[in-house]
Amino acid sequence: MSAHDVNALHSVLQSDGDPDPTRRRLLAGLVTAYTASLIPWALAQPAPDARRGAFAAVSAILAGRQSLDTVQATRLYDALVADDPGFADAVVSLLALINEQHIDPLQLQKTLDDAHSPLTALPRTIATAWYLGIVGSGARARCLAFESALNAVAVADVLKPPTYAYGVYGSWSTKPA
Amino acid sequence: MIAATAAGRMLTVLAAAFASTLAFAQAPAAAASADIVKRGEYLAIAGDCTACHSVPGGKPFGGGLAIPTPIGEIIATNITPSRSAGIGNYSLAQFDDALRRGVRADGAHLYPAMPYTSYALVTDDDVAALYAYFMNAVTPVDAAPPPTRLPFPFNVRLSMLAWNLLFLHDATFKRDPAKSDQWNRGAYLSRGLAHCSTCHSPRNLLMAEDASRDLGGGDVGTWFAPNVTSDVISGVGGWSEQELADYLRNGRTAGKGQASGPMAEAVDNSFRHMTDADLHAIATYVKSVPALRDTAETRPAYAWGAPADDLDTIRGVALPDDAEQVTGPQLYDANCATCHQARGQGSFDGGLPPLFHNTALGRADTNNLVMVILDGIVHNGEPAGVVMPAFRRDLSDQQVATLGNYLLQRFGNPDAKVAAGQVGKLRAGGGSTWIVWAVRAAMLAVVLLVVAALIGRGARRRRIRDT
Amino acid sequence: MANDTSADFVVVGSGIIGSLTARKLALAGASVIILEAGPRVTRGELVARFRNSPRRSDWMSPYPPKAWAPHPVYQPADNGYLVQAGPYPYPAEYIRQVGGTTWHWAAHAWRNVPNDFRIHSLYGVGVDWPISYDDLEPYYQEAEEIMGVSGAPDTGSPRNKPFPMEPVAEPWAMRRVRERLAGTFPVVTNTTARNSRGYDGRPACCGNNSCQPICPIDAQYHGGLAADAAEAAGAKLVANANVYKLEHDAAGRVVAALYYDPDKTAHRVTGKTFIVAANGIESPRLLLLSASDKFPHGLANSSDMVGRNLMDHPSTSLTFDADEDLWLGRGPQSPSSINTMRDGAFRAEHAPYRLDFTNISRVDGATRALIADGVYGVELERRLRHSAARELNVKNVLEVLPRPEHRITLSDQKDAMGIPKPEAHYSIDDYTRKGHERSKDDFIRIAALMGGSNLRFSKDGDFANNQHICGTLSMGNDPATSVCDGWGRTHDHENLFLASTGILPTSGTCNSTENGVALALRTVQHMLAEQAGAAKPR
Repeated sequence: MSAHDVNALHSVLQSDGDPDPTRRRLLAGLVTAYTASLIPWALAQPAPDARRGAFAAVSAILAGRQSLDTVQATRLYDALVADDPGFADAVVSLLALINEQHIDPLQLQKTLDDAHSPLTALPRTIATAWYLGIVGSGARARCLAFESALNAVAVADVLKPPTYAYGVYGSWSTKPA
Repeated sequence: MIAATAAGRMLTVLAAAFASTLAFAQAPAAAASADIVKRGEYLAIAGDCTACHSVPGGKPFGGGLAIPTPIGEIIATNITPSRSAGIGNYSLAQFDDALRRGVRADGAHLYPAMPYTSYALVTDDDVAALYAYFMNAVTPVDAAPPPTRLPFPFNVRLSMLAWNLLFLHDATFKRDPAKSDQWNRGAYLSRGLAHCSTCHSPRNLLMAEDASRDLGGGDVGTWFAPNVTSDVISGVGGWSEQELADYLRNGRTAGKGQASGPMAEAVDNSFRHMTDADLHAIATYVKSVPALRDTAETRPAYAWGAPADDLDTIRGVALPDDAEQVTGPQLYDANCATCHQARGQGSFDGGLPPLFHNTALGRADTNNLVMVILDGIVHNGEPAGVVMPAFRRDLSDQQVATLGNYLLQRFGNPDAKVAAGQVGKLRAGGGSTWIVWAVRAAMLAVVLLVVAALIGRGARRRRIRDT
Repeated sequence: MANDTSADFVVVGSGIIGSLTARKLALAGASVIILEAGPRVTRGELVARFRNSPRRSDWMSPYPPKAWAPHPVYQPADNGYLVQAGPYPYPAEYIRQVGGTTWHWAAHAWRNVPNDFRIHSLYGVGVDWPISYDDLEPYYQEAEEIMGVSGAPDTGSPRNKPFPMEPVAEPWAMRRVRERLAGTFPVVTNTTARNSRGYDGRPACCGNNSCQPICPIDAQYHGGLAADAAEAAGAKLVANANVYKLEHDAAGRVVAALYYDPDKTAHRVTGKTFIVAANGIESPRLLLLSASDKFPHGLANSSDMVGRNLMDHPSTSLTFDADEDLWLGRGPQSPSSINTMRDGAFRAEHAPYRLDFTNISRVDGATRALIADGVYGVELERRLRHSAARELNVKNVLEVLPRPEHRITLSDQKDAMGIPKPEAHYSIDDYTRKGHERSKDDFIRIAALMGGSNLRFSKDGDFANNQHICGTLSMGNDPATSVCDGWGRTHDHENLFLASTGILPTSGTCNSTENGVALALRTVQHMLAEQAGAAKPR
């Protein structure tokens, strides 16, 4: 993205809150050919507002998933913003960075660390929210999801989350499918 | 006068009973062949004698179980071959009288808590085999259980005579030649030893089975036995024969439901020990019983509900300080989701069943749902022990109601309801026994009417005299 | 009949040992009051707290302490209740609530092996117990029948009667470990208080894989069940009663227990016999807090041994990836172990140990590690599944020798109730470190037999704690070097008994609960026999 595009993006965001059809094209506008290659569905996805759209896009990239539950996305986004008011802008900046520099998800953290970027903590924050269902840290940490956290979903064909019964007595003796 | 004729009939029957007692008060039969004893044992299992005549943890067939009925507790007798406390002195004819005619060796009538109206169908050969089993293969227990003491007027056993006249059809089973052998075997077992209608048929005010609504559903204390006629919506018409046989064998069928309470006991003590052929026969017969439809029902009890994703909404939300305010999803999370899983979908192989498409949550009558939450399900066979824990101690009446209504809304029939008052009554063992007072009130009314009539007649005579 | 303020027997602490002690006394017709510092709690609450926790790997997160009954917590921050005097940290975890700490244990219920009672005579280390394995054997059996214990036969602890039930079904992962290690290491099913069938009105295990911190279905025995049983037997349990002092009379007999309720109002409970069953840290703390003019060093402490000889079981471990899919997390958390290094001539040189295979699900741990490493995108799920399927961990459970300088004392700092906090003085000595070194050979061989790659040893010098608090109230025949006799009766006070893992004079290699319960049941038998004037049991 050129500096012009980044400015255009931010000016669009400053006037957000209006769910009209131009918003539908917004996510497409946020996503370049590069990120579209990572998350092709994004082109068809409606974005309620640009910030939530950016969150959806970055979430999909970090989680490596073609689709993420929109209800869950809303819950996590709301909790992340409540925990850190700067979160929404940071996500937009992160998406812009990924677009601009064509950063592969596996290189992202190193890239941010090497650049001493202010966005260094952001990917971990988002990944923790989706994969562990946890937002915030220390005394402010909150659980938003457990059974529907992506780490439970990822293994749900073989395991039940802890505290959930595996099955009747002895059902764990068989070879896992 | 009618009274005289009835009295005469009663006297005749009484006399006959006495006569048979005197004539056949012999020593018990000599040991019979091992085959017959074995067959008798199987028939005793089919008849589930132990369900009433044994106390859990007690000596087999020693009696003592207090069977709650709307008219009071009936204590099951000792039917071991003990000479002092059981039936050790019974001849075959006396055994037969008790089993098929509801008459004890001393001539007293049994209450129909003993389902002799069903056992009346048992063939002579089968009665003989049962007798051989009880006399030869059951260990005598020389302790007598306490006698049954029902409130007046139900302590008058003679009243059973009249009741039997109305409701006892003393004919052994007759084959229907137009039906298959399997159907006939099933009919013989279901109507006879397995005495299905004892629970699964509704009863009239005189506590007799309503034959016009055979297997249409009935109350069994705090539980109810559902409609198992062939109706596809209200009964088991939508169950395959294999599914019914599986249910009887295992106490559950995937995609249908689980046996709990008295039916779980019947599976443990009786059905799971029976042959595949017999279970299939019973299934065949039951699936042929004329359909009875409850028009309020729109779909079968096993066809309700879908998975739910409510737990996300309570993640990270603190439980309220007032335990009575804990929400349905929170109660589900703390107590049910562990086994029935986060979406109500059950364990991988269904061993811990899903809650949707489950008859437990599909019925308009929610007594069984409440009972199974309060008492869980305990099996003595496989799987042994506690299959579902009891939540009686963990949940208050209000919590059971909140939870029950949540489960029905999310996984079951959303029109069915649970009330806290209902839970309280069931927890305490059922509602008040209104029948005793109703009958006493009726008798008092009759007495008052007669007295009033007599006074009226006396007054008229005096007026006539005085004029 | 016990009322609120007086009973024949006053038991301080309603954990598994205190509650089973109270139950046995109550069943014999005695009046019993149990005083428990913490609150009542329900199983459903604990399950909900775990699932809603933002720190699922912190097994204390479902058990936040009450202000009037603090216990140590270390996350998200150390609450500083257990003061660390070093040189090595002793971050013990325990739970002050009705039922105590076994609400969240792995249900290991091993007996000692016979030689554990005589390591001084046999190997020249530690001390001998004042009783033998044979003295304790019937009480091991009694404990196992109460708790519903099963395990592999012939693991070094002789039995006169069988276990009450069959061993718990083996998870697939453990079966593969057992098969692949066969011929080199015998892997056996653990001896645990976990139902392999319906028992005592409780279901069989359903593989919830959350034994720690909570068994959601009570398939595993725990102190909450013991507390229920004590109350059902007629004991009176007073919760939220923080006992801060035991009073004595001029003759040195204990006469009363003083406790604070949550409003810090003091209450006084009198009794004829007092039993302290408040775990291996809170029990010595209470004795030290009860110092008086007559007993300036605390009750039962003429030996100066109260709080000393603190022992636990430290662990080090190896994590590695096996070369086949095993999927830890299916079934109970701690199903299998190797028991061949619990005893032998080597005990003269280095600590013995058990080798425990964990079956705790790797999913949360692997997720955190991958995110910490910045692994995102499709690789995150791929590597998560790989770790969940292949990762194994084996740990040792090392014996620690009694050393008087390892101890619990009273700190200058005070807790929220104004009572001096407990302070831990601890270190890991060479005997234990050498045991750790020796066990690494075993770790390496085990990994090799499982086709292991990506071997990750626990950090050198780091020893994880296992919360098996022993030694602080050591039993012994010599009043100069022990706090109580072989019956748990304090040497100094005729009517003061101790029922706790704290009385174990050596730690052995097995989790301490079964030992503690068996000793307490034997103590009760002795008390009842004394009361009845009968011949004392062995």
